[in-house]
Amino acid sequence: MNRWIVGIFAMVLGTLPMAAQSIEDLNIQIHGYATQGFVYSTQNNWNSMTSSNGSPAWTEAVVNVTTQPEPKLRVGVQARYFLLGNYGNAIALDWADADYKVNEKFGVRFGKVKTPEGMFNMIQDIDPAYIWSILPQGIYEVATRTSILSHYGGVVYGTLRLPSKAGSMDYRVWDGERIIASNDPLLLPFAANGILFPSGQSGNMYGGTLQWHTPVQGLMLGVSESQNHQGGTATLGPFTGNGTVKPFQIPFYYGQYERSKFTAIGEYMRLPPNYTFTFTNGPTIPVVLDIRNWYLMSTYKLTEKLTGGVYYASSFNLQAPLGPARYQKDWTLSARYDVSQYIYLKAEQHFVDGMQIGFSPVGNSTLNPQSKLTILKVGVSF
Amino acid sequence: MKKLRFVILLLAAASIFAIHAQAQVIVIANPGVKATEISKNDLRDVFTGAATALPGGGNVVPILLKAGTVHEEFLQAYIGKNDTAYRAGWRSLVFSGQASMPKSLETDAAVVEFVAHNQGAIGYIGKATPHEGVKVLTVK
Repeated sequence: MNRWIVGIFAMVLGTLPMAAQSIEDLNIQIHGYATQGFVYSTQNNWNSMTSSNGSPAWTEAVVNVTTQPEPKLRVGVQARYFLLGNYGNAIALDWADADYKVNEKFGVRFGKVKTPEGMFNMIQDIDPAYIWSILPQGIYEVATRTSILSHYGGVVYGTLRLPSKAGSMDYRVWDGERIIASNDPLLLPFAANGILFPSGQSGNMYGGTLQWHTPVQGLMLGVSESQNHQGGTATLGPFTGNGTVKPFQIPFYYGQYERSKFTAIGEYMRLPPNYTFTFTNGPTIPVVLDIRNWYLMSTYKLTEKLTGGVYYASSFNLQAPLGPARYQKDWTLSARYDVSQYIYLKAEQHFVDGMQIGFSPVGNSTLNPQSKLTILKVGVSF
Repeated sequence: MKKLRFVILLLAAASIFAIHAQAQVIVIANPGVKATEISKNDLRDVFTGAATALPGGGNVVPILLKAGTVHEEFLQAYIGKNDTAYRAGWRSLVFSGQASMPKSLETDAAVVEFVAHNQGAIGYIGKATPHEGVKVLTVK
């Protein structure tokens, strides 16, 4: 399915030069950003980095080209270089879409599009957009985000003004296919148990989001729900078979309150995939997860250039055996200093209890249930 | 007591200056834009990319000044952010594929010229800038 979507997208791109009178008419814009991180952790190495010695192996760079040949049509593409420890070190297509906005109430975007679920999914990879170095990892895991940021398909979107000064409602509805590459860190828990997906995973998904901008100034309440169906050819030693997950729903409930220099956000998300691995002449292995995630965060703009923040995040896999590998609790203190509109600095301290996310036996001879994580980042954007 | 009077005087002067500064910025629109007035909330929504139309119909396109006193005053008075935070907000829309960065022009005169000749364009300029060919929107 993704091939014909990209084909249509290419056709739209191809017709643009004919539709435009000149480069000026195309309204071409080029933007980008790059970040360099430094991570130091106590006890455990984090996300395949040698972070217990201090590691600078976290680099991202993004280039984005958009054109708007007419007011209602926008076409764009964004490429990303991502390196995190042993993960990534490659350039990937972030998104590439054509967006036709009929009016404020109705627009459609298609191609490889960002999946608009939850509070942060659309922007979780856009480091300049927020103060945090890493978002709450139970919902927005940095190592695995590449595959879940976007899908091949479309998004219908719009904003409806509600009667009687009841605020406004943003809606997003999406449908398409999500593709997870064979080397994606999302599949590492299976690989750690000997189950490999040589061609990765793929499957259809659809869902919707509502965000109500309430009459209370600065208060937004949101809900997202998606239906997901993933699977692919799997191997286990000499056996070949299929690993499929029963269709499952991912609900998000969230809210944001902004007033002057203060912002508070809370979100709950449940991830309940139920895998079955069936190998020819081999075993059938069920893998059931039920991960409940939530967090509360707040930020305060201390000065024109300095913002501080704190969050508490919790993640529990109710189906996992008892022990520190089934949960993670994270107290985080963060600060961001905007040197100019182009350059910023971030510093963040995590106090982590549990080792469910980011602390893998791979790269750690022993795992300690508690660790501290210090992250420093510098970013430039234009 | 003298100190208190001085502080009160200083605060009064500052507030008068703030009102005066706000009054130095006017919001202009292409004559084709139906509205004659705009609420502060709608103005903020349009200039932060949260809305692309005004109540009662009509798509609008925000036009910015690149920098300067008028730009800073507009952001402080109507958006509540400094330039860095304001442009960071737009970048999150741009990098997530939801919008293009609004056109930024060097001078008030260039904003007037652009707004006058482009349907749906809405911008802001210093009050003293000649603004023939555009309509002034009253901010409620």
